[in-house]
Amino acid sequence: MKTIKVGLGTCGVSAGGDKTYEAIKHEIEQKNIQAIVKETGCNGMCYREPLMEVIDEDRNSYMYGEVTPERARRIISEHVVDGTPVDEWVVQGVKPTEDDLFFKKQKRIVLRNCGIINPNSIEEYMAAGGYQANRKILKESTPEQVIETITASGLRGRGGGGFLTGVKWRFCRQSSGDVKYIICNADEGDPGAFMDRSTLEGDPHSVLEGMMICAYAIGAGEGYIYVRAEYPKAVQRLRDAIRQLLEKGFLGTHIFGSDMNFFIRIKEGAGAFVCGEETALIASIEGKRGMPRFRPPFPAQSGLWGKPTNINNVETYANVPWIITNGAEAFSSMGTENSKGSKVFALAGKILRGGLAEVPMGITINEIVYEIGGGIKGDKKFKAVQMGGPSGGCIPASMGDLRIDYQQINKTGAIMGSGGLVVMDETTCMVDMAKFFLRFTQDESCGKCTFCRIGTTRMLEILERITDGKGEESDIPLLQHLAYQIKNNSICGLGQTAPNPVLTTLKYFPEEYEAHIRHKKCPAHSCPALLTYTILEDACKGCMACAKACPVEAISGEKKKVHTINQALCIRCGKCFESCKLSAVLKD
Amino acid sequence: MTEQLKIKINDQEYAANPGDTILDVVRRHEIDTIPTLCHDPKLPPYGSCYLCVVEVEGLEKLVPSCSSPVAPGMSIHTDSEKIRESRKTALELLLSNHYADCLGPCTQTCPAGVDVQGYIALMSTGRYREAVKLIKETNPLPLVCGRVCVRECETACRRNLVDDRVGIDYLKRYAADVDIENPWVPDLPMRDGGKVAIVGGGPAGLTCAYFLTLKGHKPTIFESSPKLGGMLRYGIPEYRLPKALLDREIKWITDLGVEVKTGAKVGEAFSLQSLKESGFDAIFLAMGAQKAKTMGVDGEEKIEGVLGGIDFLRGMQAPEPPKIYGTVVVVGGGNTAVDAARTSLRIGAEKVVILYRRTMKEMPAHQMEIDAAAEEGVEMRFLSAPVSIVAKDGRLEALRCIRMELGEPDASGRRSPVPIKGSEYDLPAAFVISAIGQDIDLAAIDKESGLTTTRQKTIAVDKASFAASIPGVFAGGDVTTGPAVAIDAIAHGRAAASAIDQYIRTGKTASAAKDFISRKDAFGEIPESEFLQVQRIEKEKMSELPVKERTGSQVEVEVGFTESQVINETGRCLECGCLAYFDCDLRKYATAFGVDISKFIGNTRKHHIDATHPFITLDPNKCINCGRCVRTCSEIVQISALGFVYRGFKSVVKPSMEKPLLQTTCISCGNCISACPTGAIMEKLPFRKPGPWAFEDKESVCSFCSVGCALSYRVFHDGLFTVSNVNGTSHNKGYLCAKGRFGYRYMMDEKRLLKPMIRRRGEWHETTWDEALSYTATRLTAIAKSSGADSIAAFASPKLTNEELYLLQKFVRVGLKTNNIGSFANLVNGAGQDALDSMFGLTVSTATMDDLRKADVIMVINADPSEDNLIAELKIKAAVKRGTKVVTVTSSEIPLVRFSDLWIDSKRGTNTALINGICKAILENGWEDTSFIEKRTEGYEAFKTSMGPFDKGSVSEITGVKREKLERLFQLVGDPKANVAVVYSVDSLWEKSKNDLKAIGNLMMLSGRIGKPGNGIIILRDFANSQGLLDMGVDPAYLPGYVRPGDTARVGALEELWGVALQDIFKPVNLKDAMERDQIKGLIVFGEDPLFATSNLRLTGGADFMVVADSFMTATALEADVVLPASLPIETEGTFTACDRRVQATAKIFEPRSGMENWQILEALAEKMHIALTPQGTSLIGEEIRKAVPLYGKRAAGGCWGSGLLEKTFMTPNGLGRFAVFDVDVTPHSGEKNRHLFDENYFSLNIRGKVTA
Repeated sequence: MKTIKVGLGTCGVSAGGDKTYEAIKHEIEQKNIQAIVKETGCNGMCYREPLMEVIDEDRNSYMYGEVTPERARRIISEHVVDGTPVDEWVVQGVKPTEDDLFFKKQKRIVLRNCGIINPNSIEEYMAAGGYQANRKILKESTPEQVIETITASGLRGRGGGGFLTGVKWRFCRQSSGDVKYIICNADEGDPGAFMDRSTLEGDPHSVLEGMMICAYAIGAGEGYIYVRAEYPKAVQRLRDAIRQLLEKGFLGTHIFGSDMNFFIRIKEGAGAFVCGEETALIASIEGKRGMPRFRPPFPAQSGLWGKPTNINNVETYANVPWIITNGAEAFSSMGTENSKGSKVFALAGKILRGGLAEVPMGITINEIVYEIGGGIKGDKKFKAVQMGGPSGGCIPASMGDLRIDYQQINKTGAIMGSGGLVVMDETTCMVDMAKFFLRFTQDESCGKCTFCRIGTTRMLEILERITDGKGEESDIPLLQHLAYQIKNNSICGLGQTAPNPVLTTLKYFPEEYEAHIRHKKCPAHSCPALLTYTILEDACKGCMACAKACPVEAISGEKKKVHTINQALCIRCGKCFESCKLSAVLKD
Repeated sequence: MTEQLKIKINDQEYAANPGDTILDVVRRHEIDTIPTLCHDPKLPPYGSCYLCVVEVEGLEKLVPSCSSPVAPGMSIHTDSEKIRESRKTALELLLSNHYADCLGPCTQTCPAGVDVQGYIALMSTGRYREAVKLIKETNPLPLVCGRVCVRECETACRRNLVDDRVGIDYLKRYAADVDIENPWVPDLPMRDGGKVAIVGGGPAGLTCAYFLTLKGHKPTIFESSPKLGGMLRYGIPEYRLPKALLDREIKWITDLGVEVKTGAKVGEAFSLQSLKESGFDAIFLAMGAQKAKTMGVDGEEKIEGVLGGIDFLRGMQAPEPPKIYGTVVVVGGGNTAVDAARTSLRIGAEKVVILYRRTMKEMPAHQMEIDAAAEEGVEMRFLSAPVSIVAKDGRLEALRCIRMELGEPDASGRRSPVPIKGSEYDLPAAFVISAIGQDIDLAAIDKESGLTTTRQKTIAVDKASFAASIPGVFAGGDVTTGPAVAIDAIAHGRAAASAIDQYIRTGKTASAAKDFISRKDAFGEIPESEFLQVQRIEKEKMSELPVKERTGSQVEVEVGFTESQVINETGRCLECGCLAYFDCDLRKYATAFGVDISKFIGNTRKHHIDATHPFITLDPNKCINCGRCVRTCSEIVQISALGFVYRGFKSVVKPSMEKPLLQTTCISCGNCISACPTGAIMEKLPFRKPGPWAFEDKESVCSFCSVGCALSYRVFHDGLFTVSNVNGTSHNKGYLCAKGRFGYRYMMDEKRLLKPMIRRRGEWHETTWDEALSYTATRLTAIAKSSGADSIAAFASPKLTNEELYLLQKFVRVGLKTNNIGSFANLVNGAGQDALDSMFGLTVSTATMDDLRKADVIMVINADPSEDNLIAELKIKAAVKRGTKVVTVTSSEIPLVRFSDLWIDSKRGTNTALINGICKAILENGWEDTSFIEKRTEGYEAFKTSMGPFDKGSVSEITGVKREKLERLFQLVGDPKANVAVVYSVDSLWEKSKNDLKAIGNLMMLSGRIGKPGNGIIILRDFANSQGLLDMGVDPAYLPGYVRPGDTARVGALEELWGVALQDIFKPVNLKDAMERDQIKGLIVFGEDPLFATSNLRLTGGADFMVVADSFMTATALEADVVLPASLPIETEGTFTACDRRVQATAKIFEPRSGMENWQILEALAEKMHIALTPQGTSLIGEEIRKAVPLYGKRAAGGCWGSGLLEKTFMTPNGLGRFAVFDVDVTPHSGEKNRHLFDENYFSLNIRGKVTA
């Protein structure tokens, strides 16, 4: 009997996966076809969603991409029923495809089960080896040994800080107090980042198991998952998973027959980016306004309700069972000298294959962009990658051979962050890009610290001035002054890193700022206020298309005669540019 | 005590405690004044403003010192370029989002910086003299300026955006006019300064002389004219500025000690050199611009009939004024031209024409003057200019003019006139007055002096210090600017005086840092929409002399405002300036760091001001998100009425759910006001216009309840004050409740009694102190004579000071020779006031407030501290935060219940049984303190037996409290290892059964919790000096210091001290009984109002004569025969004893408005009755108290009397505590409580009533 799997992560559903799924189920039922239909999470190929996988009796897998209900029906009839794969739609199967490249350099630890197992089924997770690690340590290891293993693996916090997880656990374990907590930070908030969401949707148990191992290691009796309320699917999957654990007796008292007692609660966050910061997150769980506080004391000393608390993010916890199962050595053998294991990236932007990719540390930017990502969309030039979301920075294409690890990226002025990776081509204005990320942080600042609250707003106003063509020479030193002050005078990571997008673009693309300020020009032809549209006399055939498209009637000219744009009336919307089929409109 | 650690600050080693923040150490050792805004030492570290940053060696970033803990070996620097830069940027960012005015535009615009809003506010309360005093802090010439000022303030007035400007200048004139009859005179310092020569006696010179005098210097004015005044005298006509008034104002200045030499012209009588040689330390040149500018036409200087404008006006002051007839043409468009025109009309001109080369719009003269001239018939000819003189035989015939048209605007923005060719015409005239300006005549200043001048031929000076090019020589006024206005000269005079003072005292002329001033208009134009809510009020018009009466007369045209006009016009002021001006930390730091307000101007939040709360105004525009109010409200008061809303740039403090404050859980304690470092949260002051005014904080103690909170009276002006909780080191950490914060307003109530009154044939008559006291003395003496000494009784308020109470009881016992002394508060309400007397020897708190901190369990019983004693409640809440468990015993769900671990909701009036139940449980469990019982007590066995019936089941039945709850109560309170404190209110009646306090006394002895730190009873009381009243022996049962009849030794000591035998006087008496049986014929009631409850008439009704001393006409006063106006708590010195025996001084803030302090009233009455009542004066009385009550002599930390009270021995005759055995009565003792004091009733009506309605 064949098995059909449909990716129903949020990415799949938003591409129409649920309709495809319904159509498949309907078709199978209606026609009484012998096949198992299952849902699964995202396998990372978001650019091909909706995805449908057919596994035949020989366990050969055929992954179909962009499967509409109509396509699904044909696949069912031709492949499932008749046994003939629809080769033209297969993106990954028995025969090599171009998409194979997407997976070739990946190393999937965190995503080991994503897109493979049914996330709603604890049995499938256990069949894939789940909860073996937990059982094992409870039987065989002392908490110290667990911490030792995690320390030896070289795992670093994947939330952005990059602090050694084992060391962090040890701090918490060594803090005095009977009551300790662990928290899973699932408040993924970087624009364009969805690693945690996919993990929770595709394999919630791996995270829960990681938490249980951590709880054992530090001696916590209670754990919280702080998850965004905007991730309803992830929340649901977690609730279901916890229910299954309780039913099985894997959570509660005397877990796996040991002395360990552990409970997990879910706390839904209201979508404040700053609540991803440890102390703000704790305040939020305590029912207070999500505002960070000064450290020390660190949460490991005094965290939730004043008790020692360990906080790691989803990806970090998901790594833990794998490390226990496969050993510290297996993990630490991967990666670079100081960054071990793998890292999940959310590839986005002007890249051909956007999605979720888990790569070994030490891979180069170019490998990600050109091999996994398949290069730049269209015929454009690769310009830069933005790493680390709003707290991160830009790395220019010229540094594409940079090996990705914590140290190397920090040196550029960007950060690893939680794994957002936005690829930019020559049409991206770097000032505008910095403005985009800064607008995000200034909007998401909790408002506590003077510099973050007002300083980022003033920086944003300066950037707006620059992209509006009203920038002055003094603006660059003023930006630098403010950026420096904000980095130095903010309590939490949000403020300390908020100027990074500006600082890195200033560092690698100073000429773009200067062009905006001195010449009132946007080299990427992206800032509307700095564009002029003119009609090339030689190319214009007088077709009137641009004149019709112009919303403000700024284009005059008779039929078959060369048109002209009245610059005083032009609002720089670019409609003429888009409408001209003869490339007679010049954007400059 | 953990070991101290060593750190280095600014390269010097200091000891620090582990857990200290860097700021703690820096402040404790006073190493540096680190600026902070969000830091509140009473709250946990926060760290948001980033003003307190310091450098820590080894760290790249600066760290906020307020929240960074010290670590061993740390090396810190508190000041550097980097730190200053960072702090400055923080302030610049904060102020870039601070849409607010520090000062009103009026004051900001005034060249002399006169505090316009301040004096208008003073005038609105009728304080004209203080208004003048305030004006004269910056401008010594209000009589003059109130008449002739150009009023830039009014042009800038924000009210222009509503309807019409406020008539500021007329208001100033009113105040100055009122004050001139008996003018305010400043206190002068020692004359230890230098000699200063002032050349020129105009407004600049006079002002400079005035301020130099105030700074202790000796100025001499050298004036070339016969009289002082300069242009004020010689340039402004009489009908605008009567010279008699000018003379008075000048005399007022010179009388302060200014030497004047008139007729002394520079270059003739003296030179700069000669001045220096004759010992002047500095010279101020203010000769003005005296020389009339010529028209620049041929022959004008020689032709008869052509006059200079200023010469003409000057001539008016000569013995022989100029003779004028026919047509007068005045050339020019300035004030001098208009003055010359209007003067000509008054001295004989038939027709006056003003010739001006532009149009009326461009005329520099004040519009009001132009209008008045037109009204009087002056003709104006615009767009014409003189070309030449038409003369015959050297006498003027006509002025040849040419017509002009307006061309392009010139540099000043005015369109410049251009002659129209060939448009010449002749204007026949008998006189032409050239009033096109004045020049400065520096010819007389000796060329060799080396004085630098400008191209405009003015003296060159430094703009800030007015220092000229020669050291020690300063210059100001017109001589430095060319012809300008008086207020500019005044501003120069004051600034120069400061600089000269500095020069003489230090030899330097560096200018002082400029005060930072936030301005709304820095953020763009202010929209009129901001004022849509402002009620339109028509501007008051100035009455003027009718036009008919003006010509031919020099009488002043403007008549002046009436007082009712002043009231209306002051009411129009919009109060733009910030009420926090004088204590805003943000402004203070912005000044210190030289903040540039415009550096980061961008978007600004604009918020609606919430003024709906009757006592608190929230202006979020001024909020800097420091969160001190939010944290105080949520962490200290634990009400959370305020919070942050929104995120990022938009985040701001608002009442919860963004509702008006009044609609939140706000309890109106006002602690947010003092927490706010800016003007975002302000008290709505109970004045018509609230200032702002500079103030002085005078520390004192609250006069409301018995917690005895330290507070400050913030005094603005005589009789104008508010309460501020600034004293953070006090036991209440400066926190106050609504009563302490806002209750003071009763003291300013206009119904206050100020004159003694006698009631004759049912009618009240105001009278003198002498008559009222004589009459009272006569009546009391007669009653004593006819009915015996014991027919007189006196009652005193528990709000009076210890000194007043002591003196009163002494007056009664020693003077009137009776023991009839008490207080209605105790007589009527006084259940249990003496409950512990038979057990402990006295009824006082055995624990102090500080013990609450050390208690493991606090049981609050029969008390609602959030209502009656909020600060006690805050202490309980703070203890809860540290882990103390709280049990609240109350039948109703009072706010404290929410913070309690256990709420015992016993039925009203059953608490004696409840406490006995605890005792029984202790006995059953063997938790009693046997050693304490054996060594320290007696009557234990009988007590033990009496506890028999109080088993859990019975107690549960009686009290209605479930058994499980009782079980928890017994565990908590009975636990012999726990420190237990009981908080009980003796004045809170309705929960009570009769023997509650006795039962508590038993409980505490049984568990050995008397005289042990962290344990004991705190007896809360309603009034500030309820405890002192008992301590002072205002009770027939005992003499001061709880001396009882049998205690012969101590009675003897008092007999000796007082010089009187007490055996016939000090004897038991039941006052209630005596009154009910009409045995009391003469009543003295001091500060109490028993008849507030009419049922008490059965007590007082039998008296033939009643004298009441009170500050208000209370119900009791209305029934009296004589009412004496008592002084207020702020009008006398003395002490209050708080509920935990804390004796604290209350300060005398003002002289008594009624003329007498209470102790003086008693002394005077005694004198009238031929009683020698000593001692006199509060400090001597205080000294005698310490002798009479030895307990007051030795005080523990915090000032509590009875250090180690009951620690080793009880105050009973044998020193043993005595267990009480009594019947248990489970009917509630009483219903509502009556407060019987005016201020309490005022509070519940006017303060609490307003916020809970």
